[in-house]
Amino acid sequence: MEQYDYSDIKPLPILTDQQDELCRIMYTEDYKQLMGLARALISVNELSARALQLTAQVIDVAPAFYTIWNYRFNITRHMMTESDDTVSYLNKELDWLDEVTLNNPKNYQIWSYRQSLLKLHPSPSFKRELPILKLMIDDDSKNYHVWSYRKWCCLFFNNFQHELAYTSKLIELDIYNNSAWTHRMFYWVNFKDVASEVELADELQYTMDKIQLVPQNISSWTYFRGFQELFHNKIQRESEVVQFATSFIASVLSLPIDLPQDLPEIESSYALEFLANHWSADPRTQDSAVKAYSLLAIKYDPIRKNLWHHKINKLN
Amino acid sequence: MRQRVGRSIARAKFINTALLGRKRPVMEKVVDLTDLDTSHTIQPLLKELETVTTEARHEVLQSVLEIYENGRNPDGPTLTKEFHKMYLDVAFEISLPPQMTALDASQPWMLYWIANSLKVMDKDWLSDGVKRKIVNKLFSISSSGGPFGGGPGQLPHLASTYAAINVLSLCDNIDGCWDRIDRRRIYEWLLSLKEPNGGFKTCLEVGEVDTRGIYCALSIAALLNILTDELTEGVLGYLKECQSYEGGFGSCPHVDEAHGGYTFCATASLAILRSLNVINVEKLLEWCSARQLQEERGFCGRSNKLVDGCYSFWVGASAAILEALGYGQCFDKNALREYILLCCQEKEQPGLRDKPGAHSDFYHTNYCLLGLAVTESLYTCASNDPPHKIKCIPNRQIVSSELTDVNPVYGLPTENVRRFIHYFDSGLPP
Repeated sequence: MEQYDYSDIKPLPILTDQQDELCRIMYTEDYKQLMGLARALISVNELSARALQLTAQVIDVAPAFYTIWNYRFNITRHMMTESDDTVSYLNKELDWLDEVTLNNPKNYQIWSYRQSLLKLHPSPSFKRELPILKLMIDDDSKNYHVWSYRKWCCLFFNNFQHELAYTSKLIELDIYNNSAWTHRMFYWVNFKDVASEVELADELQYTMDKIQLVPQNISSWTYFRGFQELFHNKIQRESEVVQFATSFIASVLSLPIDLPQDLPEIESSYALEFLANHWSADPRTQDSAVKAYSLLAIKYDPIRKNLWHHKINKLN
Repeated sequence: MRQRVGRSIARAKFINTALLGRKRPVMEKVVDLTDLDTSHTIQPLLKELETVTTEARHEVLQSVLEIYENGRNPDGPTLTKEFHKMYLDVAFEISLPPQMTALDASQPWMLYWIANSLKVMDKDWLSDGVKRKIVNKLFSISSSGGPFGGGPGQLPHLASTYAAINVLSLCDNIDGCWDRIDRRRIYEWLLSLKEPNGGFKTCLEVGEVDTRGIYCALSIAALLNILTDELTEGVLGYLKECQSYEGGFGSCPHVDEAHGGYTFCATASLAILRSLNVINVEKLLEWCSARQLQEERGFCGRSNKLVDGCYSFWVGASAAILEALGYGQCFDKNALREYILLCCQEKEQPGLRDKPGAHSDFYHTNYCLLGLAVTESLYTCASNDPPHKIKCIPNRQIVSSELTDVNPVYGLPTENVRRFIHYFDSGLPP
């Protein structure tokens, strides 16, 4: 790390002069010195290499300090125009950001800063983003910011070619990874108008296979329903789908309901919920829907009984 | 030094995951949850794959179910109010240790979490002396009367301003502090954060745009009575796009995963705009209800994630808003109450927490208490009334902790919301 001289800067105080300030933080001397310098530089809006270096130090100790991210962005935008090679200048900034990202997986500011850099970049590349995205997901496969940023990238670069395979791999590792399932839906929403019937049939089969593997999984069932809703005019396989869902509920619909303790266990309460929802839509099958909701309320998903009763009331 | 350690950890993780492949082998096995020794476990033999998700959940289940087994006392669970008061009072009496520097950019949040927790437990627990100190601190962050940043010398930020306005509403206009809020200036600033897609940037220039920003902006504007058509233009379209196929809401309008925090932000925003009819409310009810886990009894924030006390408010309040507006009740309030009282409190440590094994903090204390208040009330709202007039009725099926009535849209005591909004009845100053 290059050494810069800041001796000409008089640090600004970072504490108020209130004697009995509420929730006053006992900053360390190092922190006071560093932040005091940063505030002094910000106050004169110095856009220099040493200012950039100082922001890196601040971000290292206080990554959530959003004011410094904004300052750094102003410096970068200015220095980029002064540099002979904008592209390599911004790439260097992205390299630095990768390091910070790895050390701060839960931080909010990193991702909007990254978006701002890519928007400045004359030739941004999705390929350059993929390794850091992969590392972050390997570390925490449900990191919300990372998944949301990945979607932003797909749209920004208009590139979706890696997405299905990528989510398949993650679902392979953890079939319950809801983030991966929703990312899959993101893919289909963006390919809604061009998806072929063969592709849709394959995807439906993929989902059914995953449900077969683990029937009591909210992620795959929600996806299964959402996918059919998205393509309701392109997928007409009602009886097959109903038959599939019915295979997980051990014929409980035909059993008397008055003795809950005698009812058999079923493989999936989500299958029952799926069927109840499906049957609600058609007046001819609404009696079955009411029965399915009643079964959920008394036996198979009782903590949600208020919702099931609400559904039954709507049907009556 | 810190950075170097962080880097070597990152490198080790890289080698483990990227170079050596899977984090851990995936094994198929049938898990018998009754092994966990619980008489009330309802889940039967389930076909389950052992993954990071199930592993993490089983760990939580073990400690939660143990608490439910042992925690049966004849009086039922109770809120140890005085104990938590100690924790909060101390935070307002002493300086905070250096490790709290992590909250340096969130100082108004701390004030709100602590002051609100006190108020929710007892409306008289926020003394005039403390109110004056809150006001002094906030106006030292912004001497011009808003918008507010995370601390002195920091840029104005939507989340900081939201927290600042919230805590000012708790200060009952002490020494005329409400007149010191520069509503015109805050309004102009809110307008400057508007994005073409209908969202708000949390801060200029580099700031996130998401449902959280929208909620902060709308809540500030509604409380200060500066909510104009100009300000809300495009917001509905944005929010509508954030409802995912799952039923809940994500952060951005591009099929983001439904999430408890963002779902609250969207639901409360729609309530402020009185436009819940533009989204699929049935799916939202289903999603909120599915967040409550049978064994844990508390809420998780996303599908297949772990229970966390803070979602008692984020999800509980979303459901309470729907209940108030006549869409029906969708979760088991008594069960959630048990999770908060038995699993989010601890004998040795005051304050409330995420889950057993976690430490208490101000954030979880506030949102667990707000969630508890939601479980002990029923909500209604006259059809043409704005959401600050939502009424709380005692939930007679539940033992009361005698908490202050809370408005689910604003996360503040009902009385304070009403008085604050009423004070600014005259609309936007010229």
